[in-house]
Amino acid sequence: MATTLEQPAPGARSAEEERLLALQKRDTRRKWFWRIAGYVVVLGVWEIASGTILNENLLPGPIRIIETFPDLIESGRFFSSFAATLTRIGIGFGLSFVIGILLGIFTQSRWVEGFFKDAVTISLVSPGLIWALTGLVIWGFEPQGWIFAIVMTTFALVTVNVAEGIRALPKDLIDMSRAFGVTNTRRQREIVIPFLAPFIFTALRFGFSVGWKVTVLTEVFSSNEGIGFEMRVASQLFRMDEFFTWVLSFFIFALFLEKVVLQRYERKFFRWRAEVAS
Amino acid sequence: MATVVSQAPLEEQGLMRVLKSPRTARILFPFAVLAVWYFIYYTIDSRIFPSPQQVLEFMWEEVTLTSGISYGSVVENLYGQFAISIMRLTIGFFVALIMGTVIGLAMGISKAADAFFHDWVMAVLAMPALVWALFLGLWLGFGNLGPILAVILAGIPFVIINVREGVRNTPKDLFDMAHAFGVPQNKVTRHVLLPSLMPFFFAAIRYAYAIGWKGLVITEVFASDRGMGWTIKFWYDAHRAHGVIGYALFFVIFALALEKLVFDPLADRAFKWRPKIDVVEMAEGDFGAVASEGFLLQESEADEVVSMKSMEGEPRDG
Repeated sequence: MATTLEQPAPGARSAEEERLLALQKRDTRRKWFWRIAGYVVVLGVWEIASGTILNENLLPGPIRIIETFPDLIESGRFFSSFAATLTRIGIGFGLSFVIGILLGIFTQSRWVEGFFKDAVTISLVSPGLIWALTGLVIWGFEPQGWIFAIVMTTFALVTVNVAEGIRALPKDLIDMSRAFGVTNTRRQREIVIPFLAPFIFTALRFGFSVGWKVTVLTEVFSSNEGIGFEMRVASQLFRMDEFFTWVLSFFIFALFLEKVVLQRYERKFFRWRAEVAS
Repeated sequence: MATVVSQAPLEEQGLMRVLKSPRTARILFPFAVLAVWYFIYYTIDSRIFPSPQQVLEFMWEEVTLTSGISYGSVVENLYGQFAISIMRLTIGFFVALIMGTVIGLAMGISKAADAFFHDWVMAVLAMPALVWALFLGLWLGFGNLGPILAVILAGIPFVIINVREGVRNTPKDLFDMAHAFGVPQNKVTRHVLLPSLMPFFFAAIRYAYAIGWKGLVITEVFASDRGMGWTIKFWYDAHRAHGVIGYALFFVIFALALEKLVFDPLADRAFKWRPKIDVVEMAEGDFGAVASEGFLLQESEADEVVSMKSMEGEPRDG
């Protein structure tokens, strides 16, 4: 790091930097080549496998799936299904998120942490299927059933992340605020919550990635609309092209939300903290 | 003021101190669940909602084989169903472990392999088990192959990601030093690469097993005629809530036992050589997550980052 002392004028590059830059460029080009090769190989194998190794009706190739897409939109069920599923996710995961954050914040107390310790472990390790079936057998098609399933599968992910953040809280700031007699509510609002925000964002992304899957699962068992329902109907009628189109369109949408929208928002939100925004 | 508050619990004696300990809270939790259960039992307008006694009785009969229920001619009881699920899980798990380690090592060592596989690993990771279940059911029918494939597909991304991360986190200076002192390759692998891979490998095992289990039971619902997943669906279809809740509790007990009796002791063994396990926690959360990158940057010294960056320029596989 001694070089920082004699920084050259901005704009002028040394030969060493020039060489590194060229290497970097070559590296990026190589990376993109292999990445595209990956896409070509996987999609190619899929396209060839459909109709040769597997029946074309069982495993339709990517081209046929893309061709089915406009039909699905024309059928009119496309957007209503998306809306139904997103509503479920919004209600179920929204509630779970609030519960998870509250629990995470309350684990600042050792007593509360002990109380909910087993609940969090159970929720993390048991399959979403059992919550879906339990909720549905008790409440039937009423919303409590799927809300129960979504909350039970996802709240612990949020709690764990928030609790992780709490463990990393800057103790000295809190001690200082105590020493200067800052009230508890103000301490929570001005130290704890801003510090926790990145952890809450991580919780949001992880929770969402699990949440949409269990939502789709509950729709398979107890719904007459939504992506999960459409997937089940398509597979039962052996319309695999429709099945894969539903899967892929929602899959891509969920990935888009998870990776692009949330990540970008997170970055914008935390521009003031370099190490979080990375 | 502050000192008075923090010392108060210490001065309290006897009952209050016991009541305020986290252990008491932990013991209290099951009772709280029971209380909520009874509350729902007496308030809900559902004829099939069982009381805790009913569920416990059902579970007891299943465990002692006195319920008189036979699930089929091949597997008749809880233990048979369980054995089938465990067998499928174990086979799928080991296949996923081997294949995942190979791909993960390749991705960690060669940048080309990393670029080639990365997006598809992420795609498989994010795919719901339900999709595999429905597709495999139609393709392979109700045999063993479908559920085993589901376990592999669910578990393999975790193995790949963790092994790759482990290879990348191996301290480079140790390799350089071993090279400088002329240590033979097999010794380097044994004493440098493997120990530093260990925590990541362990996280991979733990997660592949847990996720494989989750994927397996969903697949057994749609693409099997036996196994634990099928059995809980059996009680759901029969509309017997005590059966569904009883089997759900069996699942929970199994998962908890696995955590406490198998993975926690294993973790202690695997990490004996190092005092803290922060790295593993990081790898667990790293599915393209921002948090881990932040962690890495925080942890490494600023000039180390610079030197790493300049090293990235050279092809590592060349």
